[in-house]
Amino acid sequence: MSSSTSNFNENKEQVMPDKYVFHKMMLAIVLGMIAAIGLVRVILDLNDANKQGIMGRVAEAQAALPRIIEEPNDLVMFYGSSMTGAGFSPRKFDRDLKAMGKNITSFNFGFGGLNPYFQDLLSRRIAEQFENKDRRLKLALIEFNPFQTTTTRWNRAKFTLDSFITMLASDEELWQITKQDLTRGIRLFNIKYLRNDISAEMVTSFYGREIFPPQRSRAFKDDEQTIADRQTYGKELNELFEKEYPDYEGEDWSYAWQGAGTIPEERSAHTLAVFDKYYAATQTDAQMKNDRLSRIRSADIEELHFEPLLVESFIGIVKNFQRFSDQVEVIMLPKNTRYIHYTPAAKIRLAQTIKQIEEATGIKIKDHQEIEEINPDMFRDTTHLSRYRGDIAYTDFLLKEYTQSLN
Amino acid sequence: MIFNTPIFFWFFCIFILFYGFAFLKQTPRLYLILISSLVFYGAWNYAFIPLLVGSGIADYYIAQAIDKSQSRQSKKRWLILSLVINLGILATFKYADFAIESVAQLLAVLGYQASFTTLSWVLPVGISFYTFQSLSYTIDVYRGDMKPRKGLLEFVAALSFFPQLVAGPILRAKHILPQMHAIALPKWNAVKHGFLLITVGLIKKTGADLLAIPVQAAFEAKEALSTLEMWTGVIAFAGQIYGDFSGYTDMAIGLALLLGFKIPLNFRVPYFALSPVDFWRRWHISLSSWLKDYLYISLGGNRNNHRTRNVFLTMLLGGLWHGAAWTFVAWGAFHGSIITATHYLANLKIFSRFNANNSFITKFVKWAITFYLILLGWVFFRATDINSAISIIGNLHAIGTSSVLGLHAWTIFIMTSVWVLLMHVMDYYVIKSADKLEGKTWLFWFLIILGQAICLFIGEPSNEFIYFQF
Repeated sequence: MSSSTSNFNENKEQVMPDKYVFHKMMLAIVLGMIAAIGLVRVILDLNDANKQGIMGRVAEAQAALPRIIEEPNDLVMFYGSSMTGAGFSPRKFDRDLKAMGKNITSFNFGFGGLNPYFQDLLSRRIAEQFENKDRRLKLALIEFNPFQTTTTRWNRAKFTLDSFITMLASDEELWQITKQDLTRGIRLFNIKYLRNDISAEMVTSFYGREIFPPQRSRAFKDDEQTIADRQTYGKELNELFEKEYPDYEGEDWSYAWQGAGTIPEERSAHTLAVFDKYYAATQTDAQMKNDRLSRIRSADIEELHFEPLLVESFIGIVKNFQRFSDQVEVIMLPKNTRYIHYTPAAKIRLAQTIKQIEEATGIKIKDHQEIEEINPDMFRDTTHLSRYRGDIAYTDFLLKEYTQSLN
Repeated sequence: MIFNTPIFFWFFCIFILFYGFAFLKQTPRLYLILISSLVFYGAWNYAFIPLLVGSGIADYYIAQAIDKSQSRQSKKRWLILSLVINLGILATFKYADFAIESVAQLLAVLGYQASFTTLSWVLPVGISFYTFQSLSYTIDVYRGDMKPRKGLLEFVAALSFFPQLVAGPILRAKHILPQMHAIALPKWNAVKHGFLLITVGLIKKTGADLLAIPVQAAFEAKEALSTLEMWTGVIAFAGQIYGDFSGYTDMAIGLALLLGFKIPLNFRVPYFALSPVDFWRRWHISLSSWLKDYLYISLGGNRNNHRTRNVFLTMLLGGLWHGAAWTFVAWGAFHGSIITATHYLANLKIFSRFNANNSFITKFVKWAITFYLILLGWVFFRATDINSAISIIGNLHAIGTSSVLGLHAWTIFIMTSVWVLLMHVMDYYVIKSADKLEGKTWLFWFLIILGQAICLFIGEPSNEFIYFQF
């Protein structure tokens, strides 16, 4: 064995080779990694960085699925983005249908922060649970959100990609990825089982954004009084909510079990008056213009360069729902026509994408973007409908559209 | 495979189990190194393994042929064959599209509209490193600086040695082949130094990834930024590329130490340089010394009053080595110019006192000028095209622009600068402490583990090392 050839120290004295050097090395690697990973887990847990903490309402909704499946009434689910979350009131929907003699329980599965790729994974989990219990939805409403499907949106979500995959995908799906790309697969299993579902990018991005604020989205400014009013009324609304709904946190799934907010009939006249003042200070031209700029930067909302993978994922969502739904409708939610204007090229791209989805799913997309029942004053920003105004008006519209099919 | 990924961790653990516990003899170890290195390389793309191994085998036999050749003429012919093979591979995979596009652009400028089809081939990872490494062997044998080695296995194992395969340092045959010929057990002290280097490299790489955020904000800004923000972006890029590349080589050197190999330093606190010439003695040392020994000296070096031409050409080609784009050529030309200017000024009598003065203030002035020039150079390196680079340099010198971020812009600037400085302090410490690790307390090693934990906690492993693309 030639391994002793260089065992001389700098003074040319012969040094005995360390026979146990590799034992010590392995021990150091194992102990070092255990300690390092242990520290990482402690830090993540201390910061509440886990699926529950990050996914929030998505995780709660997933956990509530067994309860949803056991509901005796026929089920309606509206699945989509935060625009769905803000724009559909299940409580009003059910209440009005009950008044018409229809026993329906509806659910708002509109989640912020999930693009169609993640929604596709989540919809597979929902489909599995429904199919396992042999339960079907009477009606599935699926939001097609053009600006959630753009390349810009996809690029900006990349830092969450691996974490969200490990949170939403099954082990079988992770194995499929591993077979195609060993490096990525090992990384994903590592994140899932050693890192509590939280990737390093997720943490970096969080702190990075804190340290290096990304783009300026405050190009337009309100006057001091308006800013102060916004803060005052916002705070007052929070206090009123806690006062009027003391057991809110007690629900298994926040947003009072069905998802999405309360309805005006449940609130006091004083609260509704505060809401009016709050919206007067919030829906200002400066706020809207800032929000529009932010949407252009973060989602390419006016040019709409679609990401093929996200379009395919959206088609996947529809197909997943078709597996366990009697009727599936694909809808484009109302848009704030005062501030959001598609360019001519965007309109062409949108038409092509709609055609692609319709051909792949066999479902005609219902375009509610410019329905006359909704006006720009019913938006809390450039994309989301406002509570007690927009959501109620749009839920009324949906009732008008779909009551007939819920016999 | 990238060092700071889970797959590399598991790969290395399995490798060490075999390397340290199963194959104790020289030849099986060589096979293990070779096969593992090819697995390491193949994890990126198996299709390019024949290219790597093939160029190594060709140079091994060419070196034998050079040695056996009786006439100078014959030796030269074999060397030219080696040059054609290695530079041909490099030219085909790395520069063909650049050449085609440049010709098309030139013709367009001249008023001819020509349609060319580019090759659009994938650039094999590490190609610039291993071709230069292999080439140095045949040139050394041709010059008579070393005898050709017997043992193809040793040669290919050395060429494909995974710690340094994809991003250097560029090892010289005379340095690595004797080590490969008689693989030594690592010493525990060297192993400790290896662990220290791996951790420091990991910290630098993680820091570099964080700096990518202000870099991107500055170099890809869609709106006008203030002068301060632009400087922050440029300093951040200086830190990013340093942390990224020197972090990688620290890890490479550290991993090699764990296996019983010594790889020379590739960086020596480069941003502390006091002149552009000094910078190139500290930055990517294995490349700059390669260019000096095999290109600059081959061009004639300092002789025949051609120093300016030779420096300029060397730096120009050095720039092009980094990437097939005019921005890299401009970067090389810029460094060629400032080195030439330094030589010129050094010969002027009025600067002789300044050059000889070693006071703190003089050193500070020298450092400040050098660092300023290096930063300007990085603008060419990072910018998407020459026009953008010129525009950014203009913005760097625009006076009176204020940031909408207010005081926060200063906070980011200070944090960025401090981090770049800290990386150098770490480097300095690691260089100094190489043989003083014997008496380190448990607290020191706990801090090392804490450093690893912080890197595992944050960091963006999906970001590839910048130098992989070269």
